[in-house]
Amino acid sequence: MNKIAKAILWIAISLAGATALSVIAFERKEPLNAVWFIVAAVATYMVAYRFYSKFIAAKVLGLDESRATPAERLEDGKDFVPTNKWVLIGHHFAAIAGPGPLVGPTLAAQFGYMPGTLWLILGAVLGGCVQDFTTLFFSMRRDGKSLGQMAREEVGKRGGMLALLAVLAIMVILLAAIALIVVKALKDSPWGTFTLAMTIPIAILMGIYLRFLRPGRVLEASIIGVALIMFAVVSGQWVNVSPTWSRAFTFSGPALAIAIIIYGFAASALPVWLLLAPRDYLSAFIKVGAIVALAGGILFVRPTLQMPALTRFIDGSGPVFAGKIFPFCFITIACGAVSGFHALIASGTTPKMIMHESHARMVGYGAMLMESFVGVMAMIAACVLSPGVYFAINAPAGIVGKTPEAAAATIRSWGFPLDPHAIVTLAQRVGERTLLDRTGGAPSLAVGMAQIFSGTIGGDRLLSIWYHFAIMFEALFILTVLDAGTRVGRFMVQELGGRVWKPLGQRGWIPGILISSGLICGAWGYFLWQGVQDPLGGINSVWPLFGIANQLLAAVALVVGTTILLKMGKLKWIWVTLAPMAMLVAVTMTASYQKIFDANPRIGFLSQARVIAAQIASGAIPPDRVAAAQHLIFNNRLDAAVTGVLAAMVFALLVEALTVWSGILFQGKQTTLHETPYVATRWAAGD
Amino acid sequence: MQKLTKRMAQLNRALQKAWRYLRQATGDAAYENYVKYCAEKKSSSNPPKRMTRSEFYSDALKRKYSTINRCC
Repeated sequence: MNKIAKAILWIAISLAGATALSVIAFERKEPLNAVWFIVAAVATYMVAYRFYSKFIAAKVLGLDESRATPAERLEDGKDFVPTNKWVLIGHHFAAIAGPGPLVGPTLAAQFGYMPGTLWLILGAVLGGCVQDFTTLFFSMRRDGKSLGQMAREEVGKRGGMLALLAVLAIMVILLAAIALIVVKALKDSPWGTFTLAMTIPIAILMGIYLRFLRPGRVLEASIIGVALIMFAVVSGQWVNVSPTWSRAFTFSGPALAIAIIIYGFAASALPVWLLLAPRDYLSAFIKVGAIVALAGGILFVRPTLQMPALTRFIDGSGPVFAGKIFPFCFITIACGAVSGFHALIASGTTPKMIMHESHARMVGYGAMLMESFVGVMAMIAACVLSPGVYFAINAPAGIVGKTPEAAAATIRSWGFPLDPHAIVTLAQRVGERTLLDRTGGAPSLAVGMAQIFSGTIGGDRLLSIWYHFAIMFEALFILTVLDAGTRVGRFMVQELGGRVWKPLGQRGWIPGILISSGLICGAWGYFLWQGVQDPLGGINSVWPLFGIANQLLAAVALVVGTTILLKMGKLKWIWVTLAPMAMLVAVTMTASYQKIFDANPRIGFLSQARVIAAQIASGAIPPDRVAAAQHLIFNNRLDAAVTGVLAAMVFALLVEALTVWSGILFQGKQTTLHETPYVATRWAAGD
Repeated sequence: MQKLTKRMAQLNRALQKAWRYLRQATGDAAYENYVKYCAEKKSSSNPPKRMTRSEFYSDALKRKYSTINRCC
């Protein structure tokens, strides 16, 4: 194609993107079709990838095609394996895409579709993708060192320790938050619980197949596993209608929480081949399949969004979680726009597999664009529901009431029409006893997905199957993250504990495994339990805590990145990482402050503790509930302390980085860049 | 007819390519890659000791799940 035609094409793509973004931002009269969202997202991604990521690659980072990557220099056939870039982006995407980009946007839909969608798209291209790409690049230039190691070497000793502690704390809160979502989705749902329970024997069967019958034949085992899981989803309806079986699989929230904690302990302590690895294969397959199916379904059905662009809850009084758009929309969306956790993946296995430096652009920047698109699709699926139904599913009983009539009356008083019979009928149509009080995002997303899927295949007849397929898909990979996270958390506890008491540091020592698994499960289990008991639904406190933690980690990655850029002498381009870093520091510090000190008891942990204490003192709480109320006070204070400690850790790292920066900028200090020395590649470019 | 045969051959190639991609992306072909690597290094001064398929699978899992490899 000649130059002029290319230029015209890119101008057309840019105009399409800009028009679609403006329609999303400013159109208020007509309900929007989902196609606007797809065009806005895809066109923005294309322009950002073509121009911005290329600029970062060439000018800011200076990707060098002649330089040998760690995969070439250190090739060992195991960790350091030069991998085709299309295969590697698949690996990397499967690793970074978790439940976060599905749940976050669904929760943030309470503000309306506009703020969340714009942040998902713009936050990703200017923040999340930049973080992933730069971290991947810096780690690749350091033989695949972890974020913690890079923080220690480039920022300072304390930086490394802080990063390790922050990662452990974030892991605990993350695991609690996602476990809570599973509990909310499966309580009193025999069909969903049965399907998810069946994934355990199916995974064990696959594990035995992969280990003893046909070692390492991942595709065969996964195909068998997926077929069995599909059968489990379909057979769940028979469990649902059988009085005996449905009773056996009906659990309350607390009972499910205990089951999940025990499961997490088992998955962490059992050999990895038996449960964790096969589940992971299964979940990766279903994850990619469901995401592709959702994209196809949205394009086929082209649904109209029912949710308004902005709702009244931008004032901070939202029933799903409390707080204004700034900072809470950013905190809630987290993963789909910027996810700190990705920095751990981008400084893990991926940098050891890159064949050529130039591939880091597609793998790092490109995979995050795909994740952002998953977030946009989740936003569409949530906003396809009528707002009344969305709030009926997501608002906790403590706010809207326990019966359909009470919930409908409250939601109508907010200005969203809702017929109490409609929500009862919808629950029956999807094969559930009730959809009320299912705060957490998974069920409303599943209803949205089921509507889109059944609009493509099967119509209303298959709505219940599609709903339970969507619930299984979300719960399956949440549990996979839970397994894998608990296990890695266990290793971290062992590593930290080993410094105090040596035997604990040995990975194969059985008492050490049991103690550290118990500690890590106890830690996230505590926050999970607290969420299950919370009269406000739990998500209101646990999800923002997770969002803050995740965004703080992103701030850490960008602080490390900015420091390295300065050391590389790239002062001119420092804004590339500095601007998203400043945004994240502002968001997380404001959110932390508000979550701790805000006078509104639904936002501020301390004021909620004070309100409960005042209720106890005035005798408003019956004597038999006083102990539980005191427990709530303790939990709120604990949440405040955790938020404070996390923010303080990042603040300390920031201060340390600022000292390094001012040394370079104002005192002309010589610093060492800990890059691996240059070695010329022996491979031809573009392989 | 000739056109159809050509189309079929094209389709066959595309399907084979997709299958190869799937095998690489899922890790199904990991052991074959490893065997190829060992064969290439056989003549080097320090040739690696080749693991069996079963040993390689266990070793790969141990390495994969001892670090953060799944995200939120």
